[in-house]
Amino acid sequence: MLKVEGLRAGYGSINILWDLSFEVKEGEVVAILGSNGAGKTTMVRAVTGMVRPSAGSVNLNGEELAKKSSRYILDKGIVQVPEGRQIFTDMTVLENLEMGAFSKPTKAAFARNLETAYQRFPRLKERAKQAAGTLSGGEQQMLAVARALIGMPKLLILDEPSLGLAPNIVDDILDVASSMARNDGIAVLLVEQDITKALACADRGYVIENGRIALEGSASELSANEHVKKAYLGI
Amino acid sequence: MSIFLQACVNGLLIGGFYSLMGMGQNVIFGVMKIVNFCHGEMLMVGMYLTLLLSTHLGLDPYACVPLVAILMFLLGALIQHTLITPSLRTNSFTNLLFLTVGLGMLLSNLALVLFGSEYRTIPTSYSQTYISLGPVNLSLPRLISFGVLIVISIALFAFLKYTTTGKQIRAVSQNPVGAEVVGINAKRIYILTYGLGTALAGVAGSLLTGFYTIFPTAGASFGFRALIVVVVGGLGSIPGAFFAGIFLGILETMVALFISPSYSDLIVFVTFIVILVVRQMIILRRK
Repeated sequence: MLKVEGLRAGYGSINILWDLSFEVKEGEVVAILGSNGAGKTTMVRAVTGMVRPSAGSVNLNGEELAKKSSRYILDKGIVQVPEGRQIFTDMTVLENLEMGAFSKPTKAAFARNLETAYQRFPRLKERAKQAAGTLSGGEQQMLAVARALIGMPKLLILDEPSLGLAPNIVDDILDVASSMARNDGIAVLLVEQDITKALACADRGYVIENGRIALEGSASELSANEHVKKAYLGI
Repeated sequence: MSIFLQACVNGLLIGGFYSLMGMGQNVIFGVMKIVNFCHGEMLMVGMYLTLLLSTHLGLDPYACVPLVAILMFLLGALIQHTLITPSLRTNSFTNLLFLTVGLGMLLSNLALVLFGSEYRTIPTSYSQTYISLGPVNLSLPRLISFGVLIVISIALFAFLKYTTTGKQIRAVSQNPVGAEVVGINAKRIYILTYGLGTALAGVAGSLLTGFYTIFPTAGASFGFRALIVVVVGGLGSIPGAFFAGIFLGILETMVALFISPSYSDLIVFVTFIVILVVRQMIILRRK
């Protein structure tokens, strides 16, 4: 589904990503792992068109997206749940979800998608009229995920969903992500610092270090890898 | 007592203009985090546009309001697209300060060149008509203007609250990153917002012509008051601006009545400073 090759990107004259290549297939959860400052969020921004890559290719189902605008890429079905959630705190939960329906097809299917999102996160339905800023951290993360689902993603990118949340809530959110991959055929790219949780949920993973892919493999291979154990899991 | 009531009503009628100016300023500030220092001059442009339209097309000043709104929206959109959006990229407050202050000076001097410095009015058959309501006398043009600007304020609330574009404007002002993530085109929202703010100022100017003189620096005092309204009512808050404007109008009229008209500016600005200081003290106390 998504094939990234030789992706290079950065800010101004500072290059952050060096020839990144990875792949996510339909129905798969792929984890992108790495510590703070490894380049994970820059990778998300480059794939979604919020930062223009200086070289390389981002290919979704055969269409080249590397030089396209973020709106176009969103339209094609790469939707992200950004780091830090980035919800609209003074707007109601429902208004936040409405903002997720951006393209014509998502607007047309809004009522149905809203129902699905409410089924996945019943808490949001109870709080539909409440200002999003009054929700708990976990509920805000659910809202950010639900807002992305309203955008009918083919590829859903979750950027640091565990940030600042209780472990059981992180599990809930990752469960939703993997169930969507398995049942609805959505590809999920899970970008995480919490490597234990990410590998428990993912099929495969890539480890980014200093803007380069340092390791790749199935979730079990990575969990068993000596370098991963030492550097990230502290075993 | 009847004098007091009369002053209250007059304050309310002029305060509505400060509200309208403040709300326009606040929409712009909310979305782009810039202070529009030529907001008062936009009001003045609205006045002269009304003057031109009514003298050349023979329209009643109130019939000019929709036309002025459209023309001012286009002017604002053009300024945003060609001048402000490119300056926003530099991320420099001073750049935008000089840009909007400079635009204001350019506009008022342009008016001076084109129309001269004399005070102009648009004569209407009803300009001296008064309606008696118990102990209070209401000037008809002021009353019509107030009615129109209340309708516009309500329409603005409704637009921001219920329409998709209105929601997108709020989304950009609350979280620009989130807005980018969901695919809102910030540049389009900037153009709409600045156009909207400029149109509100222009409409305020147009509505003033029924009872106010038109001259090249007529906008300055309204521009300053819009800033006060925005700061007192809360940066970015539309209802806050509405009530702060009304409060300011009533305060000003009361001072003019009970102290002296020549002190009204002084008292307004002193009150402004007192509110700022007291609020700062409350904020510090809470911490």
